Amino acid sequence: MEEKKIIKVKCFRFDPHKDEKPYYDTFEVPISGKMSVQDCLVYIRENEDPSLAFFINCRLGFCKRCLIRVNGKSCFSCLTNVEEDITVEPLIKDKIIRDLWSKNS
Amino acid sequence: MGEVEKFFDRIISTDLLIVGSEGAGGHAAIEAHSHGTDVLIVTKGKIGQCGASQMAGVDFNVDGKTAKILGFDGDDRDSPERFFEDLVREGLYLNNQKMVEKYVEYAPKAMKDLMDWGMRIYGYDSVHTEEMARGITSAGTLWVAAIRKKVKELKIPMLEDTMLIDLLVSDGRIAGAVALSIKSGETVLIKCKAIILATGGWHRAYSFNTGSYDLSGDGIGVAYRAGVELISMEMVQFCPITMVWPPKDRGSIALYVLSCIDPFDKYIQLVNNKGERFMEEYDPINLEKSTKEIVSIASELEVENGRGGPHGGIFLSLKHLRTKFIDAIIRIANNRIKNELKDTRYEFITLIPELLEKCKTEDIEVGNAAHYMGGGIKVNENTETTIPGLFAAGECSGGLWGAVRVASACTEVGVQGIIAGGVAPKYVKKVEQAEINKNQVKEILDRINKPLMRDEGITPNELTKKIHEISGQKVGLIKEGILLKEAIGELEKIINNDLENLCITSTKSKELNDEWIKAIELRNILTCLYLSAKSSLIREESRGEFYRRDYTNTDHDNWLKTIVMKQKNGELDIKFEKPVVTKISLPKGKLTYQEAIGVATASLKRE
Ligand SMILES: Cc1cc2nc3c(=O)[nH]c(=O)nc-3n(C[C@H](O)[C@H](O)[C@H](O)COP(=O)(O)OP(=O)(O)OC[C@H]3O[C@@H](n4cnc5c(N)ncnc54)[C@H](O)[C@@H]3O)c2cc1C
Ligand code: FES
Repeated sequence: MEEKKIIKVKCFRFDPHKDEKPYYDTFEVPISGKMSVQDCLVYIRENEDPSLAFFINCRLGFCKRCLIRVNGKSCFSCLTNVEEDITVEPLIKDKIIRDLWSKNS
Repeated sequence: MGEVEKFFDRIISTDLLIVGSEGAGGHAAIEAHSHGTDVLIVTKGKIGQCGASQMAGVDFNVDGKTAKILGFDGDDRDSPERFFEDLVREGLYLNNQKMVEKYVEYAPKAMKDLMDWGMRIYGYDSVHTEEMARGITSAGTLWVAAIRKKVKELKIPMLEDTMLIDLLVSDGRIAGAVALSIKSGETVLIKCKAIILATGGWHRAYSFNTGSYDLSGDGIGVAYRAGVELISMEMVQFCPITMVWPPKDRGSIALYVLSCIDPFDKYIQLVNNKGERFMEEYDPINLEKSTKEIVSIASELEVENGRGGPHGGIFLSLKHLRTKFIDAIIRIANNRIKNELKDTRYEFITLIPELLEKCKTEDIEVGNAAHYMGGGIKVNENTETTIPGLFAAGECSGGLWGAVRVASACTEVGVQGIIAGGVAPKYVKKVEQAEINKNQVKEILDRINKPLMRDEGITPNELTKKIHEISGQKVGLIKEGILLKEAIGELEKIINNDLENLCITSTKSKELNDEWIKAIELRNILTCLYLSAKSSLIREESRGEFYRRDYTNTDHDNWLKTIVMKQKNGELDIKFEKPVVTKISLPKGKLTYQEAIGVATASLKRE
């Protein structure tokens, strides 16, 4: 079996109706086999915090809607490999609907 | 504001509502618009960026003779009649032959529309039948981009990221629909005279599937709740050689596609965990080039017998090739994909070369994923359902394919989109807007809000896990009476208890609340899976994509009938219907499963 490694995913969080300002939550995600940033976010949503808002549709680079910022760089979350601890943020930090999804996503 | 309107955040009136924006829905909208009809598209994603259509290979079919008129090389040996015959034979005679006739008749128009809208074409090929060329190839992304461009050009109004929740039916006909904005959580009342459902499949009932996140069988679920008849829900196509591992690639059919293309098809071998080329056991003559169904079943049996990989698949292997040879394959693939076709899709330009490279040192774990839903909303050849004013087009409908789909689904959805987009406008002209039933509206809104109000119960994630266990273990590719009975019992419990006990506690926000959307989708997913398990148990034979371990024959004498289901007074009502026959009479006798598939697909080794 593949070895499992735990990484830390630091996530931008913001609910404009509830929070005065954005903050970050850090989640631990077990990495087993090649995983994408989106796989990590799905893991978090299914196991840690179901309220995390982010975009997912085709999972394989077709829809081109899952743009996100990882360690400051813009990329498609489903196409970006994860090996080390990461920080994920929305592409644009204004007009946030919730968390990682802004109005123009 | 009226009594009903006050329950909603937003109210819209239109003549014709089209739900789903892709191959079927987008095409239907453009066609209906050309008839001067007032149209609104509601789609769960963004047009051209959701559903299965964007992910398709893609191939379209037109018979060889008519293809010449469209400017392709064509093939004079072919004809619409021959195409029709192939489709019914491949469907193992369960097809609605009137629908097949329409498919063949409208396929050229569906193709021509896409060409007129600027879809770039890759080539004309022997896709569908190996004997002669009948296939026009392109990319799913180019297909949906052409539709999107046309819809935008025509300024057809759209509500994107908006989900159909339920149909509103008054006096037995369509009066409107309730929808929900996924982004804002706003409820929308849509008053309309007719609706075309083009919502695609219900892939999400299976944890291992090839589709997109928005495919939760909503169209089928809402139709069933409205009392509409469904057909052939047991027909689910699983795609072999789908990536099982690693997680990032899971669900990709890139290697399956490659395994169908000359010259790659010659080199791909499937092996079990002992390194044995197991197809030698199951089909020593055709090996990996056997039919999709036989390859799928063989892989599944290997896994069952403990010869599978660590993640429940078998392996694709190129270990019999020298490294230099694999390098050559990568070069050929790159050249064709990047230089000749100028494809830009990740799966083709990045993933395939990456996986081939990996094959130099390791085998790749692949398996059978839920891929295409052959059954769905029962329609006639005019896409009419059993409720006046309700039409269904594309993968959410059923009846065309019978027991196997070999020919192009992309052509199917275009054809049915065109037909629905022509028939619905005529209906709209004849009727007045029906009165909306206040109680029905209240019931729907109460139902969707309940999970948000509960503080305890089962969460959508927990319930999804439970459902995926059942679908994966008991309603998968190889079916068996005992397991189906268990699945049905378990699903009934879930439907009666868990579904009415869903709770969302992580956030009560209505904006982008994935848990809330899941809670709504789960009702539809459960409807589809439950009805599929039910009709699978009823069909005591094996036919095409449908395989029962305990009834392995294809039994023309007793089972040339379709299973039709609907909800009546809150109960499931089941009946059998003979397939609609126009030209090809139904055969008699019993064949073994392999014989039947062999006869049906003799000339059609590839999709
Ligand atoms: C990976 C993959 C590859 C394929 N390759 C091929 C191929 O090469 N050749 C071939 O012939 N077929 C192929 N198929 C099958 C084919 O692509 C589909 O059958 C076809 O595209 C379905 O088109 P559709 O318009 O009916 O549905 P979809 O394209 O799935 O669109 C469904 C639409 O309905 C919307 N929707 C769903 N629920 C709701 C709701 N509640 N409210 C509002 N909107 C909703 C969705 O957002 C989407 O817009 C492939 C399928 C997959 C998954
Ligand atoms: S989810 Fe579609 S491109 Fe990433």
